[in-house]
Amino acid sequence: MLIKRKEGQAARQGLAAALAATGAERLDRRAFLRRSGLAAGGLAAIGSIGFGSVREAQAKMPVAGKPVEMKKNMCTHCSVGCTVKAEVQEGVWVGQEPAWESPINRGTHCAKGAAVRELVKGERRIKYPMKLVNGEWQRISWDVAFDEISKKMLEIREKSGADSMWFLGSAKFSNEGAYLFRKFAAYWGTNNVDHQARICHSTTVAGVANTWGYGAQTNSYNDIRNAKTMIIMGGNPAEAHPVSLQHVLSGKEVNRANMIVIDPRMTRTAAHATEYVRMRPGTDIPVIWGMLHHIFKNGWEDKEFIQQRVYGMDMIRKEVEKWTPAEVERVTGIPGAQLERVAKTFATEKPSTLIWCMGATQKTVGTANVRAFCILLLATGNVGGMGNGANIFRGHCNVQGATDLGLDVTTLPLYYGLDAGAWGHWARVWETDIAWLRGRFDVTKAPDGKETSMMEVPGIPSTRWFDAVSMPKDQVAQRDNVKGLFIMGHGGNTVTRMPEMVKGLEKAELLVVADPHPTTFAHISNRKNGTYLLPICTQFECSGSRTASNRSIQWGEKVVDPIFESANDYWVMHQFAQKLGFADRMFKNITMVKGKYGMEPEAESILREINRGGWSTGYCGQSPERLKAHMKNQDKFDLVSLRAPKDAPAEVAGDYYGLPWPCWGTPEYRHPGTHQLYNTNLHVKDGGGTFRARFGVEYEEPQADGSKKKVNLLAEGSFSKDSELKDGYPQFTYGMLKRLGWDKDLTEAEKGTIERIGGNAPDNVSWAIDLSGGIQRVALEHGCIPFGNGKARANAWNLPDPVPVHREPIYTPRTDLVAQYPTRPDFRQFRMPNIGFTVQKAAVDKGVAKEFPIILSSGRLVEYEGGGEETRSNPWLAELQQDMFVEINPADAADRGIRDGAWVWVLGPENGSKARVKALVTERVGKGVAWMPFHFGGWFQGEDQRGKYPKGTDPYVLGESVNAVTTYGYDPVTGMQETKVTLCQIRAA
Amino acid sequence: MASKLSAAFRALAFGLVALFAASSLPALAQQPTSVNPTAQSVKEEQLLQALKPGAPVAGRISIPDKQAANLIQPGRDWRAFNQETLPRLGAYSLIGIAILLAVFYMMRGKIRIDSGLSGMKILRFGALDRFTHWLTATSFIVLAITGINVTFGKIVLAPVMGPEAFAAWAGFAKLVHNYVGFAFMAGVLLTFLIWVKDNIPSAVDVQWFAAGGGLIGKGHPPAKRFNGGQKIIFWSVVVGGFLLSLSGWHLLFPTAESIEHVQWQATLHGTTSFVMIAIIIAHIYIGSVGMEGAFDAMGSGEVDLNWAKEHHSLWVEDVMKGKRPAGHAAPQPAE
Amino acid sequence: MARMKFLCDADRCIECNACVTACKNEHEVPWGINRRRVVTINDGKPGERSVSMACMHCTDAPCASVCPVSCFYTTADAVVLHSKDLCIGCGYCFYACPFGAPQYPKTSNFGSRGKMDKCTYCAGGPEADGSQAELDKYGRNRLAEGKLPLCAEMCSTKALLAGDGDIIAQIYKERVAKRGYGSGAWGWKVAYKETVAL
Repeated sequence: MLIKRKEGQAARQGLAAALAATGAERLDRRAFLRRSGLAAGGLAAIGSIGFGSVREAQAKMPVAGKPVEMKKNMCTHCSVGCTVKAEVQEGVWVGQEPAWESPINRGTHCAKGAAVRELVKGERRIKYPMKLVNGEWQRISWDVAFDEISKKMLEIREKSGADSMWFLGSAKFSNEGAYLFRKFAAYWGTNNVDHQARICHSTTVAGVANTWGYGAQTNSYNDIRNAKTMIIMGGNPAEAHPVSLQHVLSGKEVNRANMIVIDPRMTRTAAHATEYVRMRPGTDIPVIWGMLHHIFKNGWEDKEFIQQRVYGMDMIRKEVEKWTPAEVERVTGIPGAQLERVAKTFATEKPSTLIWCMGATQKTVGTANVRAFCILLLATGNVGGMGNGANIFRGHCNVQGATDLGLDVTTLPLYYGLDAGAWGHWARVWETDIAWLRGRFDVTKAPDGKETSMMEVPGIPSTRWFDAVSMPKDQVAQRDNVKGLFIMGHGGNTVTRMPEMVKGLEKAELLVVADPHPTTFAHISNRKNGTYLLPICTQFECSGSRTASNRSIQWGEKVVDPIFESANDYWVMHQFAQKLGFADRMFKNITMVKGKYGMEPEAESILREINRGGWSTGYCGQSPERLKAHMKNQDKFDLVSLRAPKDAPAEVAGDYYGLPWPCWGTPEYRHPGTHQLYNTNLHVKDGGGTFRARFGVEYEEPQADGSKKKVNLLAEGSFSKDSELKDGYPQFTYGMLKRLGWDKDLTEAEKGTIERIGGNAPDNVSWAIDLSGGIQRVALEHGCIPFGNGKARANAWNLPDPVPVHREPIYTPRTDLVAQYPTRPDFRQFRMPNIGFTVQKAAVDKGVAKEFPIILSSGRLVEYEGGGEETRSNPWLAELQQDMFVEINPADAADRGIRDGAWVWVLGPENGSKARVKALVTERVGKGVAWMPFHFGGWFQGEDQRGKYPKGTDPYVLGESVNAVTTYGYDPVTGMQETKVTLCQIRAA
Repeated sequence: MASKLSAAFRALAFGLVALFAASSLPALAQQPTSVNPTAQSVKEEQLLQALKPGAPVAGRISIPDKQAANLIQPGRDWRAFNQETLPRLGAYSLIGIAILLAVFYMMRGKIRIDSGLSGMKILRFGALDRFTHWLTATSFIVLAITGINVTFGKIVLAPVMGPEAFAAWAGFAKLVHNYVGFAFMAGVLLTFLIWVKDNIPSAVDVQWFAAGGGLIGKGHPPAKRFNGGQKIIFWSVVVGGFLLSLSGWHLLFPTAESIEHVQWQATLHGTTSFVMIAIIIAHIYIGSVGMEGAFDAMGSGEVDLNWAKEHHSLWVEDVMKGKRPAGHAAPQPAE
Repeated sequence: MARMKFLCDADRCIECNACVTACKNEHEVPWGINRRRVVTINDGKPGERSVSMACMHCTDAPCASVCPVSCFYTTADAVVLHSKDLCIGCGYCFYACPFGAPQYPKTSNFGSRGKMDKCTYCAGGPEADGSQAELDKYGRNRLAEGKLPLCAEMCSTKALLAGDGDIIAQIYKERVAKRGYGSGAWGWKVAYKETVAL
């Protein structure tokens, strides 16, 4: 046998003994368990265990003798917010270590997080700026890029107006980057600015905010540990948010909680469920109404909760009555007995939480689905407490933050909207003349001569930009078509109807892609000129904060300098602002610091500006100093409550981890953040709250006889702990403080600020626009939440379907149900027509379902993310999924003579679309259902386009994009595209 | 019988109901057969017990290496074979043949040409014959030595050479074994092609064996070009060589194989090798020290006429009558 | 003396492949070499379970037994390691391994193999701990720094346990007792000739 090591072994034992003898700390059992990341509780004494070889840690060095520095940032993939600990040696990221101290991931990662170091090795990244010259990629300098692009932008602006530039930002931005990009669009003069949230949770935000105030995850991943029942519906967190499963499965184990998965696919998540319910894709509302049918019939609802805190539940009852078990089974395929069992469990074994993802949101009925989910939670009294709530798992690492900061066609940062009040607020924060801002926007003239400033008109969403390029000019309600596309950090294969997208792309005059990777935009079209690729660094190469799905904000420090010629978002935006002539105004209050290519905006300073204007959402208390203190003291926060104890270092004592918004008042006020939204069991200063009184004090409800009845929208007899107002109350204004006599608690400085803002009507100054924070502070001091104590709305009268109703997908195999459950009539939204009804009718009339009999759905793989360009360029990940595939049921495969692993064509019902992929024959999908992952690109309609990438930037793995075959269909509220239910045919290739 | 029938009816009825349900509810979601995966979690124990002999515990994996989808491989026995049976077999066969030959030599001594050397030579094997023989022979010897090294090297050589030197030698030996294997395969193929027609067993062989082949007792039974003993060697080389080539090929290019399959190939390769080595040692003995005049056949190719008459009387007659040529003509005529 | 083992709690494993990429990241394992992998049994069916598998560092390891050049050795922590200097790439360890652990770079002729590579339990090889030579040949040596294998440390659901066999068995037993189910310690019977009694 081999000798060397045996002798070496002896030496090692000797060393261990020597260490022990010199009193050096040996790894004892406790340390071992800590190391394993395992809870020590309840472990029987095992006695002493010799760890002969496990010695005191010492720095390991890929290059001997050089010091290693540890840097902390967050994973840039999903929204869980796992801390990434980087070992950096001489400016090179040489290793990743588990961040045990993070209460969110406790050292762990999924495949993507464990492979993030590769991002800054970045073999396949864009190395320098490039442009297309007659179809060839040519290297250019940053200066040339800035000059040429800004010149072209100004030319488009001159010729077609500000709205002809269309801006697409990113959920990969830091909060500061997202905020700057939104601000950039505002200073350019357009609301045509969007990002990935459009295609991920825009319907969630709309549906949830319209129900109880804010459109975000109400609780947290960690809080799921408190649940007794969880339903995961339309989500596959085992693949999309793997680290969240740590909390889900721990909760399931420790509480012996029920874990119910309702999904068309037997997912990796379903494999761990206590009950799996297979449903027909696109029937979420009937499933929920079916559950509520059982709940109301058996009296399992929480009557007190509904009476005190919910408006309009009786209208739900009426709708739900229609959904008898027989009808539910006819529409969804779920047996009545099974659904009754699920309903009973959810309603009676509380606290119960509902977890959802894109299976619910990416639908033509996305907003209505989400509303139905909220209503189920309200009916069972499962909002606003420990272990319950709407645990909405967001997608990208900062999609929550980017949404919050207004990368959206309908709002300015932090949900202020686009009305005059919103612009006035932000103009005050920015100290920019509102008239000048208004002058930046186009003015359109209607045929009747009426002029509209586009400043207050929602823009064109990311799902429809190509229609806005290609459609006849008179169909697009702005000065001209979209002519120029400015895209930062967003894939191109993320929109449905790709064949039409490609046509739009070819028609646009200018295409700017600023990204670490070339993305689908670089290869998919046959553009010859007017196309630029700008190398942007990842968030590991710059600092800034990002908001995880649970609203916790974490500060990431720069791990290494931007590699190659790449630069960070802040610098690039500043350079463009300079070239376009508004940098002085836009960066008026933002500190500039020395960066890679000269002076650049400082992230901390941008965050402070956000704090100064972020009152509406409680983004006001999370100063960079506080966030950094949280990162430094991560180990002080409790795993389940996320709270640091009172005896923790003063800079974090009593805080919830990451100061989850709302974190009221100024940073100095030291609000701890809000772990569970609307939790009346806590004092508001401890993160308690009530439903937001966002929809007024009273509602004039139309009655059957045409009359109107006034109904109270404020909570009745429910209030947060120790509130001085023992009933519902409206949102706080200066006037309300005066009426309560609490205005005397304001300082003179606060009063001065309020009166300056209010001008002639200071009484109207609300908690959301009071730049002093005084109104918030005083309300909190009296135990009241600044946004008021209202009822959640089961009836959201301002939405297209105030009470959610089932509507068959545009392309449905159940044409027999379309007459009874048709989609909404055609209408106009976001400056364009939505002709879903016409498309559905045509599909039924033409018998599309006969030719394309299989339901096609799409979703996520654990190894890849989003459009997949970044992850498919990472060899550690790409090796694990080397082919685009379609999951097909063995029965369907047998009918078509398709073998597992064989090539097949997936044919779509629109544009003669087709995709060549491999067959994965599996019972994950039921008969008549196929599923494809959405991360692939680089092939189009059977053609490998590797040659069209700039040399050396093509991802390792290419494949067809599922969106090559997806079809028409948009949510009436947000323009969300339908990616989860369409039809297809599959044939052996 | 009755219960079987009723079961069949029940199944039929169920099938009809299912059919009806399916047709009336097109594209309805299918419920999986069970609703509680946790209650039914598959246990390793169950799987191991349910394993058909030799089937791996297999699942699905996304990387292209489909063999990686086998979680736990079957074939726990191969190790024992390789570490115990095969070395034992090797040792028995090598030592056994050595003892056998030694005993034979002591009893029989060197087999002389009874009638003495005639001084006249007859061409027994032409250039192609000898090329084929020596190609096969040298490659076999090289393969045998490098092969035995795999089984016995670490027992015999490693302690003497030390691990580094032994590993260097073994690495070299493996490389040589891999390349020379092709030469051996070519040799076996040629052997078969050029000599098969003279190696078809016949009645003469029966007599030859009945007379003990002339090895035991006195006198020389008649034989054609190849006597019964040589035919045994021929067929051993052809069959054994084929098996070694086949299994060796699989071991050289193992990618698509299941582990169990590869283990079978390794077992076959090892076993055949030692049997072949023993046979070939006997062959070498009789062709060299064991028999006067025999080596010339594969040496110069020409043998003494008296030797030929004693050992291959019928062949000599045929050659004399011009019924058949002597040894195979070489591509270039022998000198 | 600790007896290091791996234990994959299949009721926790979600096939997220973090173990796989953590390994690739930590040791810069090249494309095509999979020191660790995750296999899903009963894919898409009730009872589906995923198991992360690598070298189990067997008691009385078959690979070591069949190796014709004896390049394997077992450390004091019962980690089964090998010397790439001695390995001749014959493939015998792969034939003998129950878990498909040995991997070979396809460097030489006819599908024959380069030096074998496998999971080192993040414990390097025969060279001096933490030396450049060890790093180049086997990857990083975490064990020598008092750290456990990164695959287990980074496991998203803490399904993959690494450490002293008694401790991880105890942890697993307590988990099973708490939650009321457990599909067993996969591979233990084959690797360690024992299993975790539940």
